[in-house]
Amino acid sequence: MVGRTRLGELERVIMDQLWTLDSPATVRQVHEALSDSRDVAYTTVMTVLDRLARKGSVEQIRDGRAYRYRPAVSRDELTAELMHQALDTVDGSDRMAALLRFVGSASADDADAIRAALAELENGRPEQSPGRAESDRTDGTAGSPP
Amino acid sequence: MTHSTPTVLLTLALLLAGPAPALLSRARWPSRVPRAALVLWQSLALSALLSALGAGASAGAMVVAYDHPSVVLVVLHASALLLTLVVLARLLWSAHVLGMTLRTRRRRQRHLVDLVARTDGRAPGVHVLDAGRPLAYCIPGLPSRLVVSSPALDDLADDEMTAVLEHERAHGRARHDLVLEGFGALHNAFPRFVRSRTALDSTSGLVEMLADDAARRRAGDVPLARALVRLADAPAPAGAMAAGAVTPAARIRRLTEYELTRRELTDAPVVTSLAYLTAAALVIVPTVAVAAPWLAAVAAAL
Repeated sequence: MVGRTRLGELERVIMDQLWTLDSPATVRQVHEALSDSRDVAYTTVMTVLDRLARKGSVEQIRDGRAYRYRPAVSRDELTAELMHQALDTVDGSDRMAALLRFVGSASADDADAIRAALAELENGRPEQSPGRAESDRTDGTAGSPP
Repeated sequence: MTHSTPTVLLTLALLLAGPAPALLSRARWPSRVPRAALVLWQSLALSALLSALGAGASAGAMVVAYDHPSVVLVVLHASALLLTLVVLARLLWSAHVLGMTLRTRRRRQRHLVDLVARTDGRAPGVHVLDAGRPLAYCIPGLPSRLVVSSPALDDLADDEMTAVLEHERAHGRARHDLVLEGFGALHNAFPRFVRSRTALDSTSGLVEMLADDAARRRAGDVPLARALVRLADAPAPAGAMAAGAVTPAARIRRLTEYELTRRELTDAPVVTSLAYLTAAALVIVPTVAVAAPWLAAVAAAL
């Protein structure tokens, strides 16, 4: 059977496919385009397109006895929605952030205070050059990007 | 003992809900030992809640202690019981609503990220968004997803990115989202004019410090501070300022103030032990000293 992560990945691949097409595509067309690069069943493509339609990411258009599918939104619009949700952490005191951001955005005043604090940290430790001294010290720990 | 139970519990609840959070939020030691402080906050909240509910329940049940209670007495005690039930219902409802809201928004986020994010060899396992602003965040859940925008990936040096990712992974590992969800539900449960953001803001700050400490261990102080500078530098659109008691500048200053030790107990043993002891006492003492004798007395009266 097709696992959940596999379905998620297929959703992405199928959306990519629909975004590159100019006109609404049938399940068969999407399946044929995909089967060049991967082994995927026709019914799986149908299931994933149905899931995407239920999530509002693609539109179903009736065409005779079959459905045609096209993206309901562009990739840029989805990215914009993501960024909006990620940045819009508070729009009232009652709302709790759904996401955990590394650091919030700073005002101009804060930015000065932040830079002053960094300068203090860097100057307070003269034994460390401003280069990569810190990472050398803790080198060897797993998980660092190559 | 039995007659004073509601009064004792109510006094305790008021102390734990008012002066205690105010004191704790102004104290300086929590930023030194954030884990112990977070445990103390949780125990404070739990104890305040149990005391308040216990006060109402015991006041309501006290009516059985009278041989021939007057109508006024019965109404009075019944109101206490009713108020307690209302508080409890509001709390459960608030937790339910917040949980549903957060889960819906996170599901939508995960879906969108899966559709538009790409992978990048520079940060394995991370979802990269081709967006205009440098940004890094974690979508809590099992498994949690790390999201980084491409400007952030381009701007940050390798060790700075390591610090960012370790910070976010620490949030995911320790399920900080659940801690904050608990305090959020508690906050939302009380009417606007009595509640304060003290506990929610303080605990939000403490989980950031805990995640910062994880990042320091992996990448070091300076890369973490530089990453904070770079990612906080992005000019904020109006109304999108981050909430919480701890500012980016405060987080960097904290790196200068406190050297990182392997375990907080070796760093500040007295403070840490006192915090854990107080946390345990807050939950255990009222239960043993007040609630248990009262339950025994009620059982005997019946």
